[in-house]
Amino acid sequence: MATDAESATDQRTVEHLAARLRRRQVVGSQQTALETVLVLRQVVSKARFSNIDQLVDVIRSVGRKLVEAQPKGPCTSEYTVGNTVRKVLHHIREEYHTASQGTVVPSTSKPTFSIAKFVSQGQPRKQTTSQRASHETRGILRENDPDDPDAFARALKPVFMEAIQDVLDELETVYDNVSKNAKDHIHSDEIILTIGKSSTVEAFLKAAASHRKYTVIVADTAPSYSGREMAQSLSSSGISTVLVPDSSVYALMSRINKVVLGAHAILANGGMFAITGSLLAATAARAHSTPVVVCSGQFKLTPQWNLYHEYGALDFADPSGVLGFEEGDLVDKVDVVNPYYDYVRPEMIDAYITNDGDHPPSSVYRLIKEAYDDEDYAL
Amino acid sequence: MAPKSSAAGKERSTIEEEEVLQAVILADSFNKRFSPLTLQKPRCLLPICNAPLLDWTFESLALAGVQEIFVICRSHAELVKAAIKNSKWSKPSAGLKIVPIVTAKETFSPGDAMRDIYTHSIITSDFVLVTGDLVSSVRIDEVVRVHKERRKTNKDAIMTMVVKESGMRHRTRSRGESAVFVIDPETSECLHYEAVMGYPPKNYTKIPREILNEHPEVEIRNDLIDCSIDVCSVEVPSLFQDNFDYGDLRRDFVHGVLTSDLLMKNIYCYIAKDGYAARVKDTKSYDAISKDILSRWTFPLVPDDNHPGGHSYEHIRGNKYIAKDGTVALSRTCKIGNNTLIGSQCLISDNAQISASILGQRCTIGAGSVIRNSYLFDGVVVGPNCTIEFSILAAGVQVKEGSRIEKGCLLADGVVIGPQARLQPFERLSRRHLGTEHNEEDEGEEDDEDEDDEDEDEDVDEEGDGDVEESEDDNESEMDSDYGEIEANQDPDALKRLGPDNNAIIWPQPSIDEDEEIDEVEHPTNLRLMRLGDDASDLYLSDVGSETSESDLDDDDHFDDSDPSSSVTSLPLANTSNLVQQADEAAITEFQHEVKLSLDRAFAEGHSVDNASVELKTLRMAHNVPLRRVREAVVTAIVNRIKIVESGGPAQRQEIAVVVSRWGDLIDKIGGVDATETIEVLQECCASSERLPLFGQILAALYQEDVVEEEDIRAWHKRPQSRGDEQKSATLQNNFQKCWNAGAFMIKQFDEQESDEESDEESDEEDTLAKQTRIKEKAAPASSTTTTHRESSENSSEESDDGAEESEEDEVESDELSENESA
Repeated sequence: MATDAESATDQRTVEHLAARLRRRQVVGSQQTALETVLVLRQVVSKARFSNIDQLVDVIRSVGRKLVEAQPKGPCTSEYTVGNTVRKVLHHIREEYHTASQGTVVPSTSKPTFSIAKFVSQGQPRKQTTSQRASHETRGILRENDPDDPDAFARALKPVFMEAIQDVLDELETVYDNVSKNAKDHIHSDEIILTIGKSSTVEAFLKAAASHRKYTVIVADTAPSYSGREMAQSLSSSGISTVLVPDSSVYALMSRINKVVLGAHAILANGGMFAITGSLLAATAARAHSTPVVVCSGQFKLTPQWNLYHEYGALDFADPSGVLGFEEGDLVDKVDVVNPYYDYVRPEMIDAYITNDGDHPPSSVYRLIKEAYDDEDYAL
Repeated sequence: MAPKSSAAGKERSTIEEEEVLQAVILADSFNKRFSPLTLQKPRCLLPICNAPLLDWTFESLALAGVQEIFVICRSHAELVKAAIKNSKWSKPSAGLKIVPIVTAKETFSPGDAMRDIYTHSIITSDFVLVTGDLVSSVRIDEVVRVHKERRKTNKDAIMTMVVKESGMRHRTRSRGESAVFVIDPETSECLHYEAVMGYPPKNYTKIPREILNEHPEVEIRNDLIDCSIDVCSVEVPSLFQDNFDYGDLRRDFVHGVLTSDLLMKNIYCYIAKDGYAARVKDTKSYDAISKDILSRWTFPLVPDDNHPGGHSYEHIRGNKYIAKDGTVALSRTCKIGNNTLIGSQCLISDNAQISASILGQRCTIGAGSVIRNSYLFDGVVVGPNCTIEFSILAAGVQVKEGSRIEKGCLLADGVVIGPQARLQPFERLSRRHLGTEHNEEDEGEEDDEDEDDEDEDEDVDEEGDGDVEESEDDNESEMDSDYGEIEANQDPDALKRLGPDNNAIIWPQPSIDEDEEIDEVEHPTNLRLMRLGDDASDLYLSDVGSETSESDLDDDDHFDDSDPSSSVTSLPLANTSNLVQQADEAAITEFQHEVKLSLDRAFAEGHSVDNASVELKTLRMAHNVPLRRVREAVVTAIVNRIKIVESGGPAQRQEIAVVVSRWGDLIDKIGGVDATETIEVLQECCASSERLPLFGQILAALYQEDVVEEEDIRAWHKRPQSRGDEQKSATLQNNFQKCWNAGAFMIKQFDEQESDEESDEESDEEDTLAKQTRIKEKAAPASSTTTTHRESSENSSEESDDGAEESEEDEVESDELSENESA
């Protein structure tokens, strides 16, 4: 019955995080991702499984639960949880394959390279995955051992925990890695435009400030006015900062050398969702051929690519930011919409600066392929 | 790695440490504004945006981090219990502990429910009190935090009310039932509360003068939506228990607490800046809140996200929400307008138009029908070419072809009307009771998907049919008795309008029943302001007239009907004020008698001073007399208590000291301290009784007991009235003068004392002794023995030591009060 109790505590941790996500007590993409990994680590450490599929199922079911709990809306990162779960699954599978290499006898001949199989060859270890289905041979790894069902778990758990730790480490250093190359992107005496408050962009700009002297123009970013916080934070760390209303973005664009944006989610087609106003800035930049770069951690890469067809994907928040609730006379005469995100098309973006190097929008699909397994796209 | 895991561990431990936040939901509405929709279901289970109201309330509370919820249910308690049991909230995964509590049938008001909570003694700490029809996204946990913070410094802050700013004409703000809040903007303390009814219209509000005296800045606001979310401390239920006449939470409790000068409790307001909160009080607010939800004011509680019923909806441009599961069949030519929600498995036929409406699950809309601003619950079938406007159609209603439902109609569960039915505006229909069984079974067979829902309904019905009066709870049987009466009095012509296939009965329009004592809020005209689709434009036209007619009732002839405003301002007429005065005098005489009896008993049975003072306070409250009268009564009683010793001298002094030391404190414990007044009263009392010679001695004794201070005596002495010049009879004047002289002598002594203060370091004791002796000499010329003096003064000083501390505390407390009084 000990296992029951254990699974109950597991259940409780999962439910607890789910509840906190739902109540928006966990804020920010990175924080959400970290919490998700912590829960997954606990689940894996307590889980009982006798083969890899069972473990994957356990993780997936937890992932599904968390994704369902995720509300949409400002300050939440509904894609982050799914992405993190996918990443963890990917790492665990990788470890499994490394461990089982040599013990598993290839049942099929090595596949020949062909255009038709190009996609699957995009993932170098796909060849071995295809053989995973055959469990005829058991070497050191005793999967599905009826005498000792825990043998598999005993052998591989430490490795899996390490894999999860890798994900955790990556998440913790995400800001540092993104801003590592900041000085290569921002040059002295440049004028940078940014919008909204993104922790990644903030870290990026601050990192550049230690090497270069430059000016940042921050747009107000109505109706959340998060730009104000951003401007305060930047100027407090010694960057010369100008706060401007959103309406003057176009007028100023001719003087701006670069637009730096944060992202909410990066889609597989290279487009992205970002805070309202990003599209305005990106369009203005395009009219003046000003480069637009987006700073983001890799956990924001999302396998979906056609979300922009959905009207609701923009996350319509409550109208009180636009029209105060106290304007009672108007409330029932006007329909107010307050979208929280903008969709920015891939052709408007020049580069993504991630914790894993810089990439053009056209190769985002490639990053996604490398980061996640195909079978996890739908959790 | 290590720090991370410890962080996670810490997180978990903090969860456990957190104090459990309790909430109480009053799931009963205690009124009938939704009838006949509430015939078979309590209001809290009516759906709004396709989820029961109670679920919205749970969601709101869960959002606020509430862990333990008590649901107080009365009517249809079994249904509420079942609904709670089957909802997702009672699953362990929800992290909520929900306890339904069924109260007695005699619970007729929220106040009764609160008393019930008290007797169950379930409340352990500060709790959140909400009603079962709340839709809120306010961070209640933040309110609780603020409340607890305040409680740390002020133990008397018993409640925090959450209010939301809105405009005067906001759709969600009820015109029929609002309030004037007087708030101190600095501390956000609610200083005064006055309920405002929409009808009869109120043009002025009364604010006690003390509030304006004490607070340099006040806000008087009538633009707040009362969200009826209250963070209460544990005392609140017990206050309800003590004040058995408190019915309504606001009009009785809040108003009562704030106007009472005995309770000394504070109530605060929390003006919610972010978030949304409102209560489905009536059909009008049902409409407003539905629209607020659809236009996302309640975000993050919106249909496409966090839907309490667990449905998922797709949000499309123009705030249209369509069930996501792909079971909705929309015809190619139908028109769906803005602010519309369509539940799963709905079928909308060709050329149908739906705008600003909510369709439940499994609704069918016939070709060419028009539905505007209406709410159709689950399984409603609307035939072709019907028009429905501003109405609520409950579950399973069938409207056959060509029918027309005008604004404000309410159709209860399972009503069938048409074809070609014509409904008057604001008509309320429910299903006929007799001969419905086979009809309903047919329905069940026709509609397979409906089966489970229908079954539930049937169960309830059969229970009601078989055993009408007994098996149901009070409310239900009450309803049923209404029901029979209404059913018997149907107008056949009116029924004919409802079409040949109807199974409905028409509820009469609410009218004023003279016999029945009706709450003024529930007055039918006032209720009109809370009715769906009723703009009440005709009501406000008659405002001035109604005011005039009221002043007519005051049986005065010399006022012109044409000038209503003057009749309002000059209401206090000479003859009425005379009457009032007479009544007051009678009350005072009675009061004095009562106080005398009470004190006699206290003296005789040797009550403690505290007990006696409680009794006096109660008497004062019951007779509503000014504080001075109480003081007079107490002083008189004490003075009369002192026996006149014929021999005078030490024996007399002894007697006075005993009485005063035992009962002197009582004078300051009647609710306010005003020593100068005490002396005045004492003077009056002595001057008109045979105990005149004792005045100086009693005053001295009171001074010994710290009931009066030197300054008070001086203050009294300075007052011109104290000389008694204004007294009518010569003897009285003479007596007053004598008393004044006694006082003057004392003051002279004080002065002397001050002058030789430095020189006289020996002991206080001797000083007082000396003083007493001298006073003696003046007041009652007699020889004095030092020994008895010493004894008595020692006695008194010992006893007064404890007493002095107490009375000092009292003084601090009641300082404000006495200011009130004087103001």
